[in-house]
Amino acid sequence: MDKRIGVFFCRCSNLISDRLDEERVLAKARQIDGVVHVASHNLLCSPEGKKFLAEEIKEHSLDAVVVAACSPKLHEKTFMTILEETGVNPFMLQMANIREQCVWITPDKAEATEKATAYILAAINRVGRHESLETKAIECNPDILVVGSGVAGIEAAKNFSMAGRKVYLVEKEPCIGGVVARIEEVYPSMECAPCMIAPMQQEILQDPNVEVLTYSEIEEVKGFLGNFNVKILKKPKSIDEINCLGCGECYPVCPVEVKNKFDGGLANRHAIYVPYAGALPNIPVIDRDICLRFDGQDCSKCADACPMAAVVFSQESETIEVNVGGIVIATGGETYDISKVEELNFGKIPGIYNTIQMERLIASNGPTEGEIVMENGDAPKKIAIIHCAGSRNAKHLPYCSGICCLNNMKLVRNIKHAIPDAELHLYYRDFCLPGKAGQAFADETLKKAIAHRYCGKIKTSDSDGKIAIHANDTSDKFDMVVLTPGIVPSADGKKIAELFDLELDDYGFFKEDHNLLNISSSSMEGIQIAGAAQAPKGIDEAIAQAAGTAGKLLAKLVPGRLLEIETKVTVIDEELCGGCKMCISLCPYSAIDFDLEEKISRVNEVLCKGCGTCAAACPSGAAVAKHFTKEQVYAEIEEVTL
Amino acid sequence: MSDFEPKIVAFLCNYCSYEGADRAGSARMESPANVRVIRTMCSGRIEPEMVLESFSKGADGVMILGCHPGDCHFKEGNYKTLRRYSLLVKTLDEFGIEPDRIALDWVSASEAKKYTEITAAMTERVRKLGPFVLDSGSCKGETK
Repeated sequence: MDKRIGVFFCRCSNLISDRLDEERVLAKARQIDGVVHVASHNLLCSPEGKKFLAEEIKEHSLDAVVVAACSPKLHEKTFMTILEETGVNPFMLQMANIREQCVWITPDKAEATEKATAYILAAINRVGRHESLETKAIECNPDILVVGSGVAGIEAAKNFSMAGRKVYLVEKEPCIGGVVARIEEVYPSMECAPCMIAPMQQEILQDPNVEVLTYSEIEEVKGFLGNFNVKILKKPKSIDEINCLGCGECYPVCPVEVKNKFDGGLANRHAIYVPYAGALPNIPVIDRDICLRFDGQDCSKCADACPMAAVVFSQESETIEVNVGGIVIATGGETYDISKVEELNFGKIPGIYNTIQMERLIASNGPTEGEIVMENGDAPKKIAIIHCAGSRNAKHLPYCSGICCLNNMKLVRNIKHAIPDAELHLYYRDFCLPGKAGQAFADETLKKAIAHRYCGKIKTSDSDGKIAIHANDTSDKFDMVVLTPGIVPSADGKKIAELFDLELDDYGFFKEDHNLLNISSSSMEGIQIAGAAQAPKGIDEAIAQAAGTAGKLLAKLVPGRLLEIETKVTVIDEELCGGCKMCISLCPYSAIDFDLEEKISRVNEVLCKGCGTCAAACPSGAAVAKHFTKEQVYAEIEEVTL
Repeated sequence: MSDFEPKIVAFLCNYCSYEGADRAGSARMESPANVRVIRTMCSGRIEPEMVLESFSKGADGVMILGCHPGDCHFKEGNYKTLRRYSLLVKTLDEFGIEPDRIALDWVSASEAKKYTEITAAMTERVRKLGPFVLDSGSCKGETK
């Protein structure tokens, strides 16, 4: 060994030195080749201790240091900083944990002395094999991609824009605003939802920092925090967006009709359509799957009706390539397909509606312009709302979505407002009424409805044109029944997860980095999650998470500031790599690529987190885990087994 | 034989089991001095050769401790360890190294008590097995 190694023993104010034979330990250390200096201090982490260590390193021209003290978890960074400040590479430090994992866990003084000696000798042997490592930093692109334009996506985009960042806001549908833009009122304030969200929509559509790409989908994503290359497919709307005034002359003349999913299938739309009245941006699209023209027929009714010649049948799809530093996934959620709960007979018995359909019946921009009527046009006199439809049910959704009960209270108020003399029954299992306003909101609402608690099964049946509900041992008949299922991830969540290489949880929501400490980061560094894409949540929580997630990315990606990357990464020796690709399949971060020309694997040091799993499996020894090399670990083994 | 004190090398992952061992110390619990800890960032880093090297240098037993399945700091390193481990036990057996001389377990950062219990149990187990002697004659692969 040609390094000048110094060994520093911290007495930890006698917490260590009282429990072992200090002189015996130090005497052993002094005998080791390469150890040029051994010293003790009463408390190395104190200001005096740190000053002492720095002076000793300089005075003895040390180029490797062993600190025998507490756990490296507590002060490794402290001592690495001192090395750096004295001009020694910080990775030339090795700590021997002689406190937590030695004297504190070994009551016998002689045994503790022997164990501490072994740890210190192992650290000396190891540090002799340490190499200087340079912490690398990369340039990053501060621009941001937001996928999904519900309240969470818009809020995130808005925050990035406020910080002066360029944002690409991608939405697969023709309009922005998600579910909130389609409902009438929000709980608990009973505020008008479109009034609340329209300013957000308009602001984002007119924001010079935000490029809103509606009717667009992500095609390909490559890269890492600071540098993602994204291909976005802009589907053809068949409309010249600059010339279109949004006058609405084109859709009534279209001869094709299909059920409109934006109205829960309660009304029809044409092949050329805007999703619902007041949808923003106010520009129609042509659904080429059903348009006669794209079926080879000679129809141009919409084009003929357009006063601006804005219908462009020949428009082609366009792939846009953008580079961004960070990504926010805000693809939202949807309600569970309640037809799967067979005993509730959704879709089979007329008069049974789901939440979205009820919201659309209530909405003044809905198919009935806010009139709650049944299929025959009559207003229902007796209505039931069934809570937890399919929720907290092992066969369907095992979890509670946490927002449906309060939303149902809102529906009660909406229904009573629209049909004051309607008899309204709530079938519930438990009321979940979180938040500071929840209980009071429900208490006040429940004066307007009759509540039945059901414990076991609930089912519906057809009863002479009415709907019978059987719960517990009772039955009752209704004109209209509203089933309120829980929230599930949006249908294309799985596709998005594959494109972005993200993990999903057991229910298909995007998996958080940590379910308590970091719910707004995905399993991939640089890709954040917000809103119902992560878990069912209300508007308030979605907004808070979106703002939080924007804050995280803004803090990570600062224009002009280099992005520090992990130093203790694995590197692959090009000469030794046999190209077996075993490492590629093992890497949890997809950080290893195969170089087809050279036929070897290469680690992307930006993505590598330094777990060393690949190094452990590499049959040729080409993959070397920096700072945890085989030689370094062997050096420790050699001493601890003596 | 009664005063035989085994040497046990314990590979601990940085994020869970090393933290668990630290906490055992902080709580002044007791763990046998026989167990000597080597820290790796992830249990997934531990090469089978490191286990073999430990035995060849004089260890009587080897422990590998990682995060609980599902809790790995590196997402799935411990699953790789688990897969590698079952193969390793078979290989060690072929070399004439009793499977009882090696242990794989999961210790979370809060399981200080579990750390002390499993290190004590392992020490006792290996103490009963006696010193490990690498005897090439016992290598099953070489016998017919």
